[in-house]
Amino acid sequence: MLNYIIRRLLLIIPVLIGVSVIIFLILSLFSPEQRAAVFVTDIKQLRDIQGVIAKHGLDAPIYVQYFRWISEVLKGNLGWSKTAERPVLEAFFYFFPTTLELGLFSAPLIILIGIYLGGTAAVHQDKFVDHASRVFAIVGWSLPSFWLGLVLLMVFYGYFSGLFPPESLGVKASLVVKSGDFTRFTGINTIDALLNGKLWIFVDALRHLVLPVATLTIIDCAMVMRIMRSSMLEVLGKGYIITARAKGADEKTVIKKHARKNAMIPVITVSGYLFAMLMSGVVITETIFNRKGLGWWWARAAIQLDIPAVLGAVLFNGILFVITNLIVDLLYAYFDPRVRLG
Amino acid sequence: MKKVVLALVIMGIILSWGAGFAAEVKNPDTLIVADIGTVDSLDPAWAYDTASGARIFNIYETLVSFKDGKTDEFIPVLATKVPSVENGLISPDGLTYTFPIRKGVKFHNGEILTPEDVEYSFERAMVQDRDGGPVWMLYEPLLGVHGSRDSEGNIVIDFEQIDKAVEVEGDNVVFHLKHPYPPFLTILANTWGSIVSKKFCVKHGDWPGTAETWKKYNNPEPGKETLHAIACGTGPFKLERWEPGVETVVARFDDYWQGPAKLKRVIWKIVEEWTTRKLMFLAGDADIIYVPQPYIQELEGVEGIRVAKKLPSLTLSAAFFNFNINPEGNADIGSGKLDGEGIPPDFFSDKDVRLGFAYSFDWETYLQDVFMGEALKPVGPIPEGIAYRNPEQETYYFDPEKAKEHFKKAWGGKVWEKGFKFTILYNTGNTMREIAARMFEENVEALNPKFKIEVRPVEWSTYLKELVNRRLTLFIIGWLADYADPHNFVHPFMHSQGDFSAFQSYHNPIVDELIERGIKTIDPEKRGQIYYQLQLIYYDDVPSVPLYQQLLRHYERDWVHGWYFNPIYPNGEIQGYLYPIYKK
Repeated sequence: MLNYIIRRLLLIIPVLIGVSVIIFLILSLFSPEQRAAVFVTDIKQLRDIQGVIAKHGLDAPIYVQYFRWISEVLKGNLGWSKTAERPVLEAFFYFFPTTLELGLFSAPLIILIGIYLGGTAAVHQDKFVDHASRVFAIVGWSLPSFWLGLVLLMVFYGYFSGLFPPESLGVKASLVVKSGDFTRFTGINTIDALLNGKLWIFVDALRHLVLPVATLTIIDCAMVMRIMRSSMLEVLGKGYIITARAKGADEKTVIKKHARKNAMIPVITVSGYLFAMLMSGVVITETIFNRKGLGWWWARAAIQLDIPAVLGAVLFNGILFVITNLIVDLLYAYFDPRVRLG
Repeated sequence: MKKVVLALVIMGIILSWGAGFAAEVKNPDTLIVADIGTVDSLDPAWAYDTASGARIFNIYETLVSFKDGKTDEFIPVLATKVPSVENGLISPDGLTYTFPIRKGVKFHNGEILTPEDVEYSFERAMVQDRDGGPVWMLYEPLLGVHGSRDSEGNIVIDFEQIDKAVEVEGDNVVFHLKHPYPPFLTILANTWGSIVSKKFCVKHGDWPGTAETWKKYNNPEPGKETLHAIACGTGPFKLERWEPGVETVVARFDDYWQGPAKLKRVIWKIVEEWTTRKLMFLAGDADIIYVPQPYIQELEGVEGIRVAKKLPSLTLSAAFFNFNINPEGNADIGSGKLDGEGIPPDFFSDKDVRLGFAYSFDWETYLQDVFMGEALKPVGPIPEGIAYRNPEQETYYFDPEKAKEHFKKAWGGKVWEKGFKFTILYNTGNTMREIAARMFEENVEALNPKFKIEVRPVEWSTYLKELVNRRLTLFIIGWLADYADPHNFVHPFMHSQGDFSAFQSYHNPIVDELIERGIKTIDPEKRGQIYYQLQLIYYDDVPSVPLYQQLLRHYERDWVHGWYFNPIYPNGEIQGYLYPIYKK
């Protein structure tokens, strides 16, 4: 098992090399002037654009730029992000906790609610619960996140006088958190508030999480629900379920012990993908609720051709997906003893 | 029954909670400004964007500043007097400016301001002189050059030149100009004239002030300039923290030499989504916000807010003709010939073509529909609010018949006979430029079915590439004043080396000579004559069609007091100068 895990983790290296080469090949399609655009945001700076290009080596052959970048990465320097106005690595550790916090609160809800609704819908197939769940799934999946986010904001922040505000913290909480009297253990506001013994900041952070988490949950649990329902229906038709019922097992035991566990495999796959997606940032939700996380940063970096930040995103997502796939495979083995790793 | 009543009561409580927006003052000692502009740097020698300028303007101070809402009257700040020829602090030949420095002024770190700090501030800026930065505005008057390096990045000046340009003489700091430069005071009043603490800078690794080391500090990498994320000024607010892309927080400086400000703290938050920003404003979680022009109707008639309208910006947007389009790989000129399927690279070099376009723009409709009447029709390259603008200057107007007349004459009649086809690009997201381009498209195509114009959006990076490579056919772009002087407009719009005119290959030697003479002329009457003549030539040559000078709005909650407008303040229409502002 350990060897298997190590072998899978070592896959990170060729994956990262592969994706970074692909990105640099795409970059070669952009002219030096386009790549200098991230440094030249105003027409007044145009007269010095050749200086900018020369200074940043943007007119060097693409393979030279690649090897220059790789040699810096191996020294731990991922470059300077113009959109974040910080080194890329520093920016990553700055923005990641916001994304992580959103993901940590959303992912369990999405997965658990999706599993529960999907399982319940399957067990009560063609009854009201099933129909209601499917309508919820269709509506939820169809809703654009920006629209849902804005509607929730208009109702629960606008109409209800700031009940659930945007951003990460209120003004008072933010001033305390960013002062010297507060220790940032993790960068995650809810966790750090508890670790600092400041319950009111914890509550404030939770209030600010309600709407973005609700937005993500409503939209994404629909996918989990649909997959769970389909998988559960398939399992409920299997011979061993009929056998279990015939042997006198009560329905609760049949569903929980025999059906649900076996229906989980496809759900694990989609949950893994979902979690990775949440961890790499949900740009629209972050923008609507003004929570500056990885998604927000990387979206701006992509639009402005902030190449070091884009490459940083590529590296992170490469690592993330390798690790996520590994965890998914390990969970397969847990849920299905027939699966052999390695 | 009881359950029903209980449910109704709960619903009533919940519904009545929805007040729509907050009436009470939130955070009474903290002003929150919700904006979209991201800060590039907090270093006054580096920063050239308005978002950075807005913060720097309130953290640092300059030798002189603008009097209230004026752009041509000054008050002494860190100097005790505003230099003038009358008080002898400007030499009669305009080459020497003397500033007596105020005593007893504290920096945020407790150090006392000295003339050496002032000297250092300017020398430091000229030493740093980063690519695309604002320091050319010090180099031009003081050394008579654009900057410290040539186009290849080689340093072409000696430190001695910088050293001699700014000197301490007793309690005074003296500037020695290369040639007379009438807007010198207005340049010093802007953020690139901010005074920094030499001790603070050197302590944090900045240039120590010596001749031997200056080249090492020239043109640093982005993010490596010493004052990128730290600050120590003499202004009414000191930097508490800057989280790039997120927010900037400044706190009241209690030892400010003019007495502490009323506000305890100011927070600039970057909130890019308009609806979120609006909701924060209505909920009282933002006191001042930036409202993009397309959304101003959403706040009309809303209680609890105060709006100042029709604030004149010092901006000017125009449509520039490219006299010599680069045809290499340029799909936007079609066939590259005057055959009805394209345009030749010198298409716009014919004055009748340019006049045809000039008479095709419907200003009345454009200014009313796009800006709801909150924009001015410019008369030439000098906007309203800048000296020597000629309000009586003849200008172009929408006249399809005249447009037709000129197109018929253009290129000996070939334009009308063969027709043409080309593309106008605009940068994605810029609605004003898009609509202006489409107006040209619609009105010009209506004159002759053989006239075909395509309008296409591109990302800013692509637009930049096309502009720099002179491939744009007709480009619509705007200019925001660096300082309030006509030179800052006529140069980019008309000089052959101007920021815009260089990319359109427009060259009129008489114009160049007039502009170079105008900046060195001290006598106001003679100066006025030069700029009037330039405006006349602009009308005659029509190198570009001036489209609009936008009027701005300021939005604040009604518990905010003390704000006033000055068009030259960075983001003046948003928060401007914070010192007099308070909440009540």
